[in-house]
Amino acid sequence: MARALLETKLHVPRQRRDLVRRPDLGHRLDGALSSPLTLVSAPAGFGKTTLLTQWLAGTASPRAAIAWLSLDARDNDPALFLAYLVTAMQKAAPGVGATALSLLESPGTSTEAILVTVINDLAAVDGDVVVVLDDYHVIDARDVQESLAFLVENLPSHVHLVVSSRSDPALPLARLRARGELVEIRAADLRFTAEEAAAYLNDVMNLALTPQDVASLERRTEGWIAALQLAALSLRGRDDSTAFIAGFAGDDRYVVDYLAEEVLQRQPDDVRDFLLHTSILSRMTGPLCDAVTGQDGGSAMLAALERANLFVVPLDDRRQWYRYHHLFADVLRARVLDEQPARVAELHRLASDWHARNGDRAEAVRHALAGGDFNRAADVVELAVPELRRTRQEATLRRWLEALPNELIQVRPVLSVAYAGALLIYGELDGAEERLRDAEAHLEGAGRQGRASAGSPPVTVVVDRAALPALPSSIALYRAAQARIRGDVASTMAHARRAIDLAPDDDHLARGAAAGLLGLAYWTLGDLEAAHRWYTEASVRLEQAGHLSDVLGCTIAVADICTAQGRLHEAMRTYQRSLTLAAAHSPLRGEADMHVGMAQILREHNDIDAARAHLNTSRDLGEHAALPQNRYRWRLVMGRLRQIDGDPGGALQLLDEAEQLYISDYFPDVRPIPAVRARVLLAQGRLDEAVRWAHDRELSADDELSYLREFEHLTLARILLARGVLGEDCWNETTGLLRRLLDAAERGGRAGSVTEILALQALTEQARGDGQAAIALLRRAVTLAEPEGYVRIFLDEGMPMTSLLQLLAKQDDAPGHVRRLLSATGSGGPRVSASQGLVDPLSARELEVLRMLGSDMDGPEIARQLVVSLNTVRTHTKNIYAKLGVNNRRAAVRRSNDLGLLSRDQ
Amino acid sequence: MSTPPANYRPEPPIYEIRVKGHLDQRWTAWFDGLTVTTQSDGTTALAGPIVDQAALHGLLQRLRDIGLPLISVTQTDPGDDPGERPASH
Repeated sequence: MARALLETKLHVPRQRRDLVRRPDLGHRLDGALSSPLTLVSAPAGFGKTTLLTQWLAGTASPRAAIAWLSLDARDNDPALFLAYLVTAMQKAAPGVGATALSLLESPGTSTEAILVTVINDLAAVDGDVVVVLDDYHVIDARDVQESLAFLVENLPSHVHLVVSSRSDPALPLARLRARGELVEIRAADLRFTAEEAAAYLNDVMNLALTPQDVASLERRTEGWIAALQLAALSLRGRDDSTAFIAGFAGDDRYVVDYLAEEVLQRQPDDVRDFLLHTSILSRMTGPLCDAVTGQDGGSAMLAALERANLFVVPLDDRRQWYRYHHLFADVLRARVLDEQPARVAELHRLASDWHARNGDRAEAVRHALAGGDFNRAADVVELAVPELRRTRQEATLRRWLEALPNELIQVRPVLSVAYAGALLIYGELDGAEERLRDAEAHLEGAGRQGRASAGSPPVTVVVDRAALPALPSSIALYRAAQARIRGDVASTMAHARRAIDLAPDDDHLARGAAAGLLGLAYWTLGDLEAAHRWYTEASVRLEQAGHLSDVLGCTIAVADICTAQGRLHEAMRTYQRSLTLAAAHSPLRGEADMHVGMAQILREHNDIDAARAHLNTSRDLGEHAALPQNRYRWRLVMGRLRQIDGDPGGALQLLDEAEQLYISDYFPDVRPIPAVRARVLLAQGRLDEAVRWAHDRELSADDELSYLREFEHLTLARILLARGVLGEDCWNETTGLLRRLLDAAERGGRAGSVTEILALQALTEQARGDGQAAIALLRRAVTLAEPEGYVRIFLDEGMPMTSLLQLLAKQDDAPGHVRRLLSATGSGGPRVSASQGLVDPLSARELEVLRMLGSDMDGPEIARQLVVSLNTVRTHTKNIYAKLGVNNRRAAVRRSNDLGLLSRDQ
Repeated sequence: MSTPPANYRPEPPIYEIRVKGHLDQRWTAWFDGLTVTTQSDGTTALAGPIVDQAALHGLLQRLRDIGLPLISVTQTDPGDDPGERPASH
């Protein structure tokens, strides 16, 4: 496992044999097996955990798979909480959570997306699953609480959550209660009744108390189980039970104070000291206890305490790890703090040392902070940074850094840079630059650390020297990231370049990230060639760094840039390469995006079925396989497919959804959804609404042009064209705008745009009545479009374009692509059947001539119709006769009818 | 303008928290130095300055964790010495 998890947290606590049986509560808990949520909510010492283990061992285990998780304060980090929760489920139901655990390692996946994969896995499990979260009251982090709420709302019906807590969790309890979907066991249910108290004191603890004594103990403790346990321990071996009980019953003291005092007083000094000194530990094992107490025999002592029922709880079956009962631990801690305040810090220091030596950095930090030894805590945090980053525990890193005094972080460049990084992860700019400056100021001092003298600046501290070489480039990189968040392109570029200059050769992550930022900056500026180059470099580096999901993010950028450059095939190859990469590491975040990108290109090729298939694949892969942008990109492409289907209403609805879900992720918005929407409106003849859009966007034909607004200006050109067709005198605006757009696109190397602009110019000339110019322009467009297989760029323009293509097709030297375009319109020239039944099939042009031979047109009429010379018609005719094996017109028509060559046309 | 200086910290408010049962003096350190005063009605008052709401909630959580039934939480005027007030009823 990539993440170090404490096995003991997943262990169902061992059931003690000497227990009071509580069949009624057991029956009520059986309701958990038909309920999504069971809540056992009561203060400390009410026997919650015991009741649950009793129930699990009794009725639950045979009927359900059991996942157990004992929570502690560290689980307030959502990444860690999920890792534990999923691992617990996996232990109970093998096969659950493999996807989730791998997603936890890849940056940026939303918690909800991870939970969805878990829920899907659970849905496939046969039989009931009970998931117990013990001590849930330690969770105060909102994002963890929200995860649990999401889980409760979406669990399959055979999965049951059981939560024990000292306070009611932030879950929609009232709603669940109203729906009858909540089993609740509360303090009033858990208190020992008089009978249970008697059974415990006399049958289990063998105290032989009178009914009156039992009754007064029950009254005094109000059935609080922890207090009754303490009372039983106090009474063990006493002759004067009744007198003791009378004294206790007549006292106002907090029952635990009263009884714990009794119990502790009766322990030998060594036991008492052991209890006090080890009380600061959240879990105990022999050697750790020895380190803290400075004595030997910790393991034996723990075993003895367990035998004597002195509030230790075994955490595993091997008797290696224990903890104190929580309530008793608090009593001991308060006592050691009161009696030996000076000793407490030392105890924490010893515990911190031991944990640091034994690999539990989190516990080492906790003890150092608890003991007020901030320097020591900072040392351990510094060493833990790489691991926390790798396992995405930024929440933990941040909490630790916030717990450290500022002066201490300031002199530690490694921590300062880590702090800036932890802030920027959350998109927070405040304070990040200050941290970077602190780091810079101390980086120069890093070489001369440890030589402080009075009056000199604070001494630089570096514990993790291995982290030092990468710091300068990290600082530059974080500055570039800040500049990007602020939208400052020039600074982004300057800092990113500096990061690359400073990064060690093998720091692929830093180099990849910086290259990506440069690619983005160039893209934003419209320098596609440079953008392509840097994004490609970023992909290579990020792949070497193992950040595959980020590689897929770069792929989208690279393919978008290729598309703008008019290199559809290259864009497709880029997606295909990355899809292969993703498939080898599936599920990989971004895999779903590759399919959407491919669908977009296939749509342009007019391969609608294939485009739709890729969109379906993308959707089936699920949200966890998608980057944040995918939700809107999917709808954008699907909307444009709907339009082709002749469902503009459906198209507009999808575009509206896409707009709601739009998230730039810092990519330049080169194809704004409202502009796409305006084009759909225009195609529907809703010119007024399209005009209103252009007005809202303050677009005009005289605007200064830029790559970022090109798509909008091309949309405006279509609106102007439509207005011209309706008789408005705006031709000069239209032609002027298109001429300038063409110039800009040619200079920017955007062949895709050039094709589109030429097509629009052709339509404009045709509408103005200059057919010759229109044909010439369209010929250029089609010639340019052919190698990359552009189809929809023409077809999306509708009938006027179809007519113009038909005219072009009649030209002698019409590009071959025209026929493909016309056949794609389904209304154009003759279709070329794949199986004409001829050795040498007729060309499209020959089929067209053949059809005219079937009419009563004569040669000159056919020549006029096709706008070719009579000689050309004769050549075509001769070739047709040869291919059909006939020698006159009538035979040719009969033969073509026999072969069905013309049957499906027109 | 009478903007307070950047490092301005108002006097923390004084809180009094009452719980059921008599709590031993030895808990003073555990409860961040609050004065622990037992009352004749069988309750205990924990009183003193509490810097902010987070600290107050942390304190309430500690009380919860040792199972002390909570009776009331009140904010009192700084200047009152809650320890010397007679037990009220």
